[in-house]
Amino acid sequence: MASLEVDKVSFQYLQGFSLHEVSLDIPTGSFLALIGPNGSGKTTLLRLMSKTLKPDTGSILLEGNFLQDFSSLELARKVAVIASEQHFDFPFLVRDVVSMGRFPHQARLERTSQRDRQIVDESLQMTQTEHLADRPVSSLSSGERQRVLVARALAQTPSILMLDEPTAHLDISHQIGTFRLLRQLNRSRGMTIITVLHDLTAAAVFCPTVVLLHQGRLIKQGSPSEVITPETILETYQTEVTVHPSPVGGFPQISYPADEG
Amino acid sequence: MRAIVSVASMRSAGLKLVLLLAVTVLVLVGSLFVGPVWNAPWQIIWDIRLPRTLLALIVGSGLAAAGATFQGVLRNPLADPFILGTSSAAAAGVMMSSVMGFDHYSALYCLSLGFALFSIFLVYRIARMQGRAQVQTLVLTGVVVSLFFNAAVFLVFSIFYRESFTTLFYLLGSLTEGEPTLILVSSAIIIFGFALTWLYARELNLLTQGEEAAQHLGVEVERIRKILFVAASAMVAAAVAVAGMIGFVGLIVPHMMRIIMGPDHRILLPASALGGAVFLLLADGVARTAIPPLEIPVGAITALIGSPYFIYLLRRRQREGQF
Repeated sequence: MASLEVDKVSFQYLQGFSLHEVSLDIPTGSFLALIGPNGSGKTTLLRLMSKTLKPDTGSILLEGNFLQDFSSLELARKVAVIASEQHFDFPFLVRDVVSMGRFPHQARLERTSQRDRQIVDESLQMTQTEHLADRPVSSLSSGERQRVLVARALAQTPSILMLDEPTAHLDISHQIGTFRLLRQLNRSRGMTIITVLHDLTAAAVFCPTVVLLHQGRLIKQGSPSEVITPETILETYQTEVTVHPSPVGGFPQISYPADEG
Repeated sequence: MRAIVSVASMRSAGLKLVLLLAVTVLVLVGSLFVGPVWNAPWQIIWDIRLPRTLLALIVGSGLAAAGATFQGVLRNPLADPFILGTSSAAAAGVMMSSVMGFDHYSALYCLSLGFALFSIFLVYRIARMQGRAQVQTLVLTGVVVSLFFNAAVFLVFSIFYRESFTTLFYLLGSLTEGEPTLILVSSAIIIFGFALTWLYARELNLLTQGEEAAQHLGVEVERIRKILFVAASAMVAAAVAVAGMIGFVGLIVPHMMRIIMGPDHRILLPASALGGAVFLLLADGVARTAIPPLEIPVGAITALIGSPYFIYLLRRRQREGQF
């Protein structure tokens, strides 16, 4: 059963950019990367699928029900979203921020239960943020904050996790660490993971399914070796590259000369 | 082990709240015995000082709780009903109802609340045009809106009330209102407004994480924001209706309480209400006794303390590169 079905969805911003009749089925348990050049519509599509934006035409089904029929609370129990930027203006402790992920599961004057605490602890452990638990989130580095956001999303115990450029501000060890964590969640819990990515290498290594967007249209969907080819890269990114299998694992990797031509 | 730590921290927050409550009661009782006359007879304490002390209690609580709420919803630690123009707008409403000769209380409160609501939504809309309300834009918009309503207030004053020292004193912020019905109605509104914001304290916590983040965590952002704006504006309107424009209580108190109690609004809101009461009681003590037998408007005292504090906060944020 598909966890998300996007059917001929179109959307236009006031400023002119638009998404044209995008259709996409995302089965439960997918690990999917949305790739494409800047302004191709990746983030817009993600925001439509998380109900942040409402489609002009077309429909989106979440586990067989119309997305717009879900209340924020119902949606937050199933879908967690990690946006590309998060400001922390107030000095909440890391543990408090992660506990906020339990909000959709708690009734109004209900006290934090043993189960809530246990899930928060697990989320801290999985993201290796336990040692930060009692520090104010405003004092952390950007890499640490990113992991706290992942922990908060995990505390929601969602069946779908959506991320927008989760590794943009991270060094390579934290990048790989983040993707390995996502892979583990995908494999051990069957969590559906949908992420916007600029890093084509990481997309090829970690994501069994890659969706390429260009100028608001879905160009190609498939395995990394089907989607990431010299032809599609030239067509969408307007850049000539060669693609060859990586020495480790045989994933499609891009290389390019220093000078043009 | 960790669960124990967390329970312990909840307990220590509760302990701090109890301590703060004790301080409030102490200051409350103490302020009954402070005034231009020491050793005052019971008559004065009962008829004059008690209503005034109660007034300071509810006005201080209301303004501080409203300030904490505005700061959370707007994600801006510099927000305050006075700086955002909500107080001036409410005062304009009060003046209008008085000029138009509505002699029923409901008209006074309706106009005061109506103007307060209008101004906060106006400031919010203007400041939010680029998505996230920027600190400078918000404060600047608030100050301009506040200047506008101040001008309206003093226009009315100069036409209809130029002889009335009482009105001037009221506008500058004072706790001399002795009418029991007004004190009672304002108390009821402030208690109700506080209860409503406290009920949504967890949502307020989530709103500080940003609009979209709160939405994704399950908060109906639009609805909750409206409820919180209405509750906070009602507290401001009720405070202004009895005590005029007392500024900076809603800025200083929540900020200090955030340092002592942390940012969790479930604790911060009651702490701010108590702290606001203490702060205003002390300020009024100064206002009554600094230059005997003269009395200074308490709004002047809070502004004299509050303005430098505001500058200090602004400077600190600049140094931390938060602009």
